[in-house]
Amino acid sequence: MRRPLLEVLGIYKSFPGVRALQDVRLSLGHGEVLALIGENGAGKSTLMKILAGVHRPDAGVLLLDGAPVTLPSPRAALDLGIALIHQELNLCDNLSVAGSLFLGRELRSGPFLQRRAMEHAARAVLLRVGLDVDPRRLVDTLAPAQKQLLEISRALLGKARILIMDEPTSSLTQIEAERLFAVVGELTAAGVGVIYISHRLNEVTAIADRVVVLRDGRNAGEINGVDATNDRMVSMMVGRSLSGVRRVPHEPGEEVLSVQGLRTAAWPAAQCDLSLRTGEVVGIAGLLGAGRTELLRALVGADRVLSGSITCGGVLLSGHGPAVAAAAGLVLVPEDRKQQGLILSMNVRENLSLPTLRSRGVLVDREYERELTESKIRDLAIATPHGEQRAGALSGGNQQKIVIGKWLAAAPKVLLLDEPTRGVDVGARAEIYARLHDLAATGLAVLFVSSELAEVLTLADRVLVMHEGRIQGTLGFAEMTEQTIMTLATGTGAA
Amino acid sequence: MHLLLAHAVLLLATIVCAPLSSQDPVAVPTKKPRLAFVTNCVAEFWTVATFGVEAAKKEFAVDAVVRMPPNGTAEEQQRILEDLLAKGVQGIALSPKDPENMTALLDKVAARAVLITQDSDAPKSKRLCYVGMDNYDAGRMCGQLVKEALPNGGAIVVLVGNLDQDNARRRRQGVIDELLDRSHDSMRFDAQDATLKGGAYEIRATFTDQFDRQKGKAAAQDAMVRFSDLACMVGLYEYEPPLILEAVKSASKLGKIAIVAFDENEATLQGILDGHIHGTVVQNPYEYGRRSLQLLSELLRESDPTKRAALLPKGGFLDIPARQIRKDNAKAFWDDLKQKTGKK
Amino acid sequence: MKKLIGIASLLLLVVVIASLLSRDPETGTHTFLTAYNIENLLQRIGMFGVLSIAAMFVIVTGGIDLSIGAVVCVVGCVLPWLTRDLGWSPYLALPAALLLAGCIGLWHGLLVTWLGLQSFVVTLCGLLIYRGLMRWFTHDQTMGFGSSGDGLRYLATGRIQVTATFGLPVAALLLLVVAILAAVFMNRTVWGRQLFALGRNEEAARFSGVPTRRLSLLAYVLCSLLAGLGGALFVLDVNSAQASSFGNFYELYAIAGAVLGGVALRGGEGTVIGVVLGAALMQVLSNAINLVADSTQLEFAVVGAVILFGAAADEGVRKLLSRRRAS
Repeated sequence: MRRPLLEVLGIYKSFPGVRALQDVRLSLGHGEVLALIGENGAGKSTLMKILAGVHRPDAGVLLLDGAPVTLPSPRAALDLGIALIHQELNLCDNLSVAGSLFLGRELRSGPFLQRRAMEHAARAVLLRVGLDVDPRRLVDTLAPAQKQLLEISRALLGKARILIMDEPTSSLTQIEAERLFAVVGELTAAGVGVIYISHRLNEVTAIADRVVVLRDGRNAGEINGVDATNDRMVSMMVGRSLSGVRRVPHEPGEEVLSVQGLRTAAWPAAQCDLSLRTGEVVGIAGLLGAGRTELLRALVGADRVLSGSITCGGVLLSGHGPAVAAAAGLVLVPEDRKQQGLILSMNVRENLSLPTLRSRGVLVDREYERELTESKIRDLAIATPHGEQRAGALSGGNQQKIVIGKWLAAAPKVLLLDEPTRGVDVGARAEIYARLHDLAATGLAVLFVSSELAEVLTLADRVLVMHEGRIQGTLGFAEMTEQTIMTLATGTGAA
Repeated sequence: MHLLLAHAVLLLATIVCAPLSSQDPVAVPTKKPRLAFVTNCVAEFWTVATFGVEAAKKEFAVDAVVRMPPNGTAEEQQRILEDLLAKGVQGIALSPKDPENMTALLDKVAARAVLITQDSDAPKSKRLCYVGMDNYDAGRMCGQLVKEALPNGGAIVVLVGNLDQDNARRRRQGVIDELLDRSHDSMRFDAQDATLKGGAYEIRATFTDQFDRQKGKAAAQDAMVRFSDLACMVGLYEYEPPLILEAVKSASKLGKIAIVAFDENEATLQGILDGHIHGTVVQNPYEYGRRSLQLLSELLRESDPTKRAALLPKGGFLDIPARQIRKDNAKAFWDDLKQKTGKK
Repeated sequence: MKKLIGIASLLLLVVVIASLLSRDPETGTHTFLTAYNIENLLQRIGMFGVLSIAAMFVIVTGGIDLSIGAVVCVVGCVLPWLTRDLGWSPYLALPAALLLAGCIGLWHGLLVTWLGLQSFVVTLCGLLIYRGLMRWFTHDQTMGFGSSGDGLRYLATGRIQVTATFGLPVAALLLLVVAILAAVFMNRTVWGRQLFALGRNEEAARFSGVPTRRLSLLAYVLCSLLAGLGGALFVLDVNSAQASSFGNFYELYAIAGAVLGGVALRGGEGTVIGVVLGAALMQVLSNAINLVADSTQLEFAVVGAVILFGAAADEGVRKLLSRRRAS
């Protein structure tokens, strides 16, 4: 038997505060399609980046054709024939097809580009993936599937022997996806090894020779393609015992937020309806790119709403921005804390008071500002020496408390949170959970997005599961399990 | 660099297109001659000249456009000239911005149209004639006014827009040479930082303001600070004497510092009438405009080369002399100016 | 704060050097320090300072206004036209001209915030458009007040006698008023706070419910309004405006003054005092050169070199400090 094309042995990788990978192993044979699956944050993307030379492992060995290799840079990985095809396609829209194929390795004679030769070579490699377009066309004018194939041909042009494909079908239609599978089939027949990462379990079943499951940065199991049923995969992905103590759900009051027929620019074909009652904590689960963040952003008017109605506290919101939404009692703790949640170069006081700053006469009411700062630092136990500390100097958990605090000052009726504990350490996380439960008990409605199922199960009274821009299903307190959520999130369960 | 390239391309285009677009420039036109009057910057002075041009259009039955380079640079002039040729203008009266370095350009223009200079000359080029005054002589006239204002001598400061312009250099030189009682030599040039002292008169400094009014006024103020014994300030560009007057007035030094002017800004004339400005040397821009166009139209209408040559004044210089205006003749001059510019 | 100390010490250094060099060998007086020269300087600082504060408002939002000089030109031409040619009362004409300037700012703001054009592009085109329109409008005639603006000219040229020899220029007093109002606006009002927030992180400010568009709009209006005020002062000072050259490049002096004074071009940072000091430095430099140098040909070179020296020294000290802290 030949040696495997690629072997990964005992890889460890840590980031500050996070153990991303622990003792991860896998092997990839010649002409094999290996599917790599796992929950968000299971370590797939870290592993992938290590293979592509973006990150370097803390420990472990990579064997290529049995020989140990190091990948200090993406360039080195490419030179060894390992090509990563990104989820967000990595093409320059304003280049021609040939130009983008040869980007960074242009054929030249002296300082001049050999345009003709490049176009000729481009035609040949495009045909290999069945992409029949003029190499002079602008990348901009290609369909998403064509761009995907262009990325693959780019990898082939670099004599890639191992293709790593990250969610390659996320922006493709069914027919386009099948075409892609056919190309993958041809490539493997020619001996190329493919590592295929996808959340769409149906696809995995269809295409993979073998499935490797990661969970919490470790190997959780391996299944042969023929044995890979959705149930087996989901239970391996989720696999752990339920964490956290189950508690009694909050007693919901009357409806405070009602959304009907909401369409966002990200998923114009999908409509969302939802209703939220006072004192209720509702989670939104789903895979990355399922439209959860976009839904929250549209609710507060940070993104454009295509159609539909949003009513909060009896106020109909339309064409609104975050300021108007906040006035109606609808506020968002956004996903990207450093870019959207806080102004890192301003101090704690200025950040806390920004949404609710008021004047006495024409001047800032400094008394109000001082009281607000003191009370929020005390109530939320924000660990800062004083209110004049630069927000950027605080830890992630304390930063998140500031973002929550500044909105609590606006006396909201509905609090939206997007990944409320991302980058927050365990201690602060528990404090934030406790605080959210307290707030719900006082009648605040909480709607949060989380990619961590454990968090959803700990916090939510019920959960909305999103898939491809629509709410695939709602699970009540009794029905919520990691399994039921994952089934809906991967689009395999019915609505 | 881009500008240069663009110019080169334009020039090339005009040369290549030459046989197509224009015939012999001195052929007798059947229609009204198409003329252009090109100034060296934007100023009131040129507005008066424009009235002369307008008068000439009717008087001599010609078509004429006036072009003023807004920033007063040689590059702009070049662009303007190229565009005029491309438009098929047959005769151009130009106040060249930088005669020394424009010779080649002017010769090209002269090959494609009848070219005369006005206000400022370019003697090395193939222009047919110069209409205007001798700036050096006018400068000496200005120097005489200074001597009248300061019979016992004293320290003098000169303000001028810039010193890369031929007329400015000669005007200033005329003032200097007159005050220092030097011989008549219009080719002389004293650098800006040269020591200029002779007899009772001393030219302490020459300030340039690049046509920025605020800067000009600041220079006048700073001159008074720097030279406590300053006796006279001379403003050689049209807008400068009023600025000097403002500065001297606000420093309460009227009567202590004499002001000598150039050109006929309204505030200058008023200053002379009020007795705050000793006098001014005026050109006759109205006649520059009118006589330039008259000459061009006559040249273009005459087909016989010998007769045409006879039309040119002797020495290629059509003198429109400068005049000295003092309190006694200021009123009459101003009235005449108002009448000519229709500002009555 | 550190930036303020930096610019203040640079200004002090230049003042000391100018004073020493300007000693008149005959009388022994330092001409730079005479009451008359200080009056003149304060007046110029007053006029250019207003422009730099104007530039600050837009730069703080992260934008840039290149049309300041052109707005100076617009007001410089329109104000005398209103009083002399139309015979308006100067006290009516000034607000009208400022209103026009404010409208120009509103127009810039709308293009930047609602249409999403870059401020550089909008104001660069504005610069060309307004100057061109003014040349057409004035037929390249020099605009002046004659005697029609006499009362108003006090704003630019007036002096309030403090001692027998020294009078405080009204223009400087005006700058003081504008600077205090601007400082209060920036540091003590909700709008000012939100403007800084917007300049530092527009996205986060928007997510925090700050009306970012309206604020940007306000910044552009204030900028053009103050540029208009500056334009009025300039034309009242020299009593003559030529559309083709009036206020040419003043946007660069304004921006240079603001940036020298610690306003960060990326937005969100700056103090009014710093801006005034920055504008002062520019004027002191050019005054010193007039008083001291034999030839003014090197003026721009000296101004550029001093500014560069200031920036380099500032950065050098900062690096040194952070290195010492790190080790």
